Amino acid sequence: MSAVRVGRVGEPERVVSAAVRRRVFLRSFLLQAAWNRRGMQNLGFEYAIAPALDALYPDPEQRRDAAARHLGFFNSHPYMAAAILGGAIHHEERVARGEEPPVAPQRYKQTLQGPLAAIGDGFFWTALRPFFGALAALGALLFGWPAVVLAITIYNAIHLALRIHMFRVGYRQGDAVIGAIAAMSLPSVAERLRLGTAVLCGVAAAALLLGGARDVGIVAGGVALATAIAGQVALRLGASVLTVAYGVLFVATGAGLLALRLPGGS
Amino acid sequence: MSSYLVLALVAGLAGLERKGVLQAMLSRPIALGPIVGLALGDVSGGLVVAVPLELLWLGSVNLGAALPVHEALGAAAVAGGAVLTGQAMGTGVTLPIAALSVALCVPLAVLGRNAERSIERANERLVARAETLVLTDPAAAARANLRGLALPFFLPALLAPVGAAAAVAVIPAILRAAPSLGTPLAIAWVAFGLIAATAAAISLRAERARAVFLAAATAAAAGAAVVVGVIR
Repeated sequence: MSAVRVGRVGEPERVVSAAVRRRVFLRSFLLQAAWNRRGMQNLGFEYAIAPALDALYPDPEQRRDAAARHLGFFNSHPYMAAAILGGAIHHEERVARGEEPPVAPQRYKQTLQGPLAAIGDGFFWTALRPFFGALAALGALLFGWPAVVLAITIYNAIHLALRIHMFRVGYRQGDAVIGAIAAMSLPSVAERLRLGTAVLCGVAAAALLLGGARDVGIVAGGVALATAIAGQVALRLGASVLTVAYGVLFVATGAGLLALRLPGGS
Repeated sequence: MSSYLVLALVAGLAGLERKGVLQAMLSRPIALGPIVGLALGDVSGGLVVAVPLELLWLGSVNLGAALPVHEALGAAAVAGGAVLTGQAMGTGVTLPIAALSVALCVPLAVLGRNAERSIERANERLVARAETLVLTDPAAAARANLRGLALPFFLPALLAPVGAAAAVAVIPAILRAAPSLGTPLAIAWVAFGLIAATAAAISLRAERARAVFLAAATAAAAGAAVVVGVIR
């Protein structure tokens, strides 16, 4: 899909330069700056794509029309939106060259925003980030703050690499970006990450228990464990996490006071 | 006083990073706890509270239009409250201080969610502004987006120091009036960490997550006990 350049004499080439594309990508970090109930990420999208529209439409009227069509409702996963921004530039170039009707970029956004939001929520928000959150928490227990720095650095290396990659693929391939993202099989990776996170949480629980027993004594550690098990039962019965957290804090304090009064309590 | 200004700044920046800018995990409790600690002069104190809060709120994610609790506000307030109380009492962040700071400041995370919903309504005015401006000045219409950064900054910047100040005012009084609460509160802190790890595993919404969690916890505890036994 090489660009057909219809550079008539005296007209600018209707392509967005690499420097402008980089500006759009950097602006995509502010996609949710003005998240609102009506248009959701519409202002962020408008803001991000503005440099590309400036480059493509020197004519003020065309520039206004282009800006107006990107103010419509938009909502996707903030990382995955990079792919849609790249693809929207791809389509705007074609509109500017007269190869597509002006409605094409909007149609592209509407088609992709839902599916990519689902993939992004399922991979980044409910798998990759919790995995590195749990890894950082466990690392903090075992090795202190440097482990947190390391875990977050790795998370961001992955997240930024994917964001840049998807922006590029969206720009180069337009509609074919869906196939490229499907080929990454993110849902099955996510499933494995979730089980890995469950293991990390389990090891963290063991570390918290043993560290706690070291700090407060074995009997007191047993009291804490028993309270937590009761809390887990409450969670299983459908109590909210915050209610259970307060219940556990309260009951464990009470049980601790009682245990201290018993003969043999330390 | 300057400590509270520093806390306000860090909490405000975290409020931006959390949703409006970048989203690189820097406002997650596990990062924000030690960052608040660093800013206030006690990294390890901030880290103590960061671990269970990260686990407690591991499932607090922004899916579509559904809002999670404001975990960054909660974490900034709890960490700020614990670190400043530790400094005020001259003990550093002890387990009873951590437990009381959580009990006092965690509701701010729920309050923050409600406030965030109002912010999302208020931002609709920016859409109206952009829709008017786009007819005459598309560049200015695009910049309306940046005005949305003000409220998400000020929400935690104002509330996190309030929570921390409450902790500093109340916690030393409690611990001095009832010294016998020290050990029971330390026990409560351990129990809180355990229930946070459990909540984290449940929030994963994976079929076998709970079973895997329990198996891993048992295996790790047993393994560690064996290793300790061998060393002794």
